[in-house]
Amino acid sequence: MNLTRDILDQQVVDRTGQRLGKVDGVILELRDGEPPRVAAIEIGPVTLTRRIHPRLAEWLGGWLRRHGPRTDGTLRIPWSKVRAIGVDLRVDLVADGTPARAWEDWLREHVIRRIPGSRQ
Amino acid sequence: MRRYLEVALGIFTSIGGFLEVGAIATAAQAGAGFGFRLGWVLVLGTVCVIFLVEMSGRLSAVSKHTLQDAMRERFGAGFFLVTTIPGLIVDWLVLAAEIGGVALALQLVTGIGYQWWAFPVAIGSWLFLWKGNLRLVEDGVALLGLVALAFVVAAVRLHPPVHAVVAGLLPSLPPAEGTTYWFLAVSILGALISPYLFFFYSSGAIEGQWDENHIGSNRFTAIVGMSFGAVLAFGVMLAAALVFHPRGIQVERYEQVALMLVEPLGRPGLYLFAAALAVTCFGATLEVALGRAYVFAQGFGWNYTLNSLPKNSARFSLVYTAMIGSAAVLIALGVDPLALTVFSMALTAVTLPLVTIPFIVLMNDPAYVGEYRNGWIGNAAVVGISLLASLIALVAIPLQLMGG
Repeated sequence: MNLTRDILDQQVVDRTGQRLGKVDGVILELRDGEPPRVAAIEIGPVTLTRRIHPRLAEWLGGWLRRHGPRTDGTLRIPWSKVRAIGVDLRVDLVADGTPARAWEDWLREHVIRRIPGSRQ
Repeated sequence: MRRYLEVALGIFTSIGGFLEVGAIATAAQAGAGFGFRLGWVLVLGTVCVIFLVEMSGRLSAVSKHTLQDAMRERFGAGFFLVTTIPGLIVDWLVLAAEIGGVALALQLVTGIGYQWWAFPVAIGSWLFLWKGNLRLVEDGVALLGLVALAFVVAAVRLHPPVHAVVAGLLPSLPPAEGTTYWFLAVSILGALISPYLFFFYSSGAIEGQWDENHIGSNRFTAIVGMSFGAVLAFGVMLAAALVFHPRGIQVERYEQVALMLVEPLGRPGLYLFAAALAVTCFGATLEVALGRAYVFAQGFGWNYTLNSLPKNSARFSLVYTAMIGSAAVLIALGVDPLALTVFSMALTAVTLPLVTIPFIVLMNDPAYVGEYRNGWIGNAAVVGISLLASLIALVAIPLQLMGG
């Protein structure tokens, strides 16, 4: 398996087929005397932006934590939850209620629902 | 039946993405300023766009990825975030131009200034996306768009001199006013080859759950749909060349453009022109706004689909809402729609290689398209034409802005 080709930037889909986000980061565990191991994948705008510039990620994270649902929306998924790697990365999770959905939920409740015709 | 529905996607993509305010305005200015001489640019743009649309459908059918999904995956975060910004700016300007096109059509019919129509048009098109689904959007616009055939009827009725028209299909250097000639040439290319079109089309293919069996019908759709659009655009250029060019009239306002249908078709020509402008620009408004919402949703991995309620894809719905609402402000403020159109089309030409070059890399990567890889002709045509458009645009835009 090639981490940057097969894992990084892949679409992550939950148990019910909901789209959680992209694999914005891969977390490796360093072990003494043994090769590193993939510990988790991370989804979130701050993780994504850190790949461009750490300062930018810091600023974005600060802004996100002060507004709306007051979370930067970072979701770390342990590697043990990953079920299948194909066109999408399937994980054994339900998207609803996770930080990856915090902004989606907040925008739905506070913006979209207030616009007529969004519910039927 | 299924084949009919796929062709509807092609015709809609063509009406909205091909013949819209950009193609009408630039083809009319080209015809008025240079007669049939810029015909070869239309041919070049059409060839390029047929290849690119076919590639968008094939990529999605084989890899099950939309173009944006594949780009994010293959080229990573930096590429995604950095190319998103110029794309967003260009799309926003193009969207304003399209809203301006519908608003101007309404001004032609009602006499009420286009600024006043900006928000009604924005709300109307937004409602279409908010309440409608992809099928309604595609079929409705494809059907109504047939009114644009008026351009072809007009061109035929004006009896174009066949020899001169054919001669225009061969590239030629400008007689004089070189800057304007090249500026118009790249504006035409930018109007025909619009990146939002590929993002939109490949998303439509995924929403329609295409697979390898669709490759044949996809090629058919790309060729027929885009050629249909090209014939309409060619009709605009011929009519403009026959009505304006002999009299030395430069097209500087949309009201003038309408005259090219009034001369061959009489008074109904005005209404036909307004209807064609309104429908094609309305289709493009939907397509640009949706295309950008798809790019964001797929780039970040959000839920997205037009075939469900807005509450089920909040961020996706918010992107097209914000795009349409903010672009309408530009028109409401009274920015000249014709100048905005031609300028935003030239800017599109500058940014073309940012999409086409990575696209070509994907279409040659067996990890995505397997045995259905591009042939060398498609590769060469797309890379050649888009680089050419971008380079000429980089030179022509500053010259045009300085020289006017």
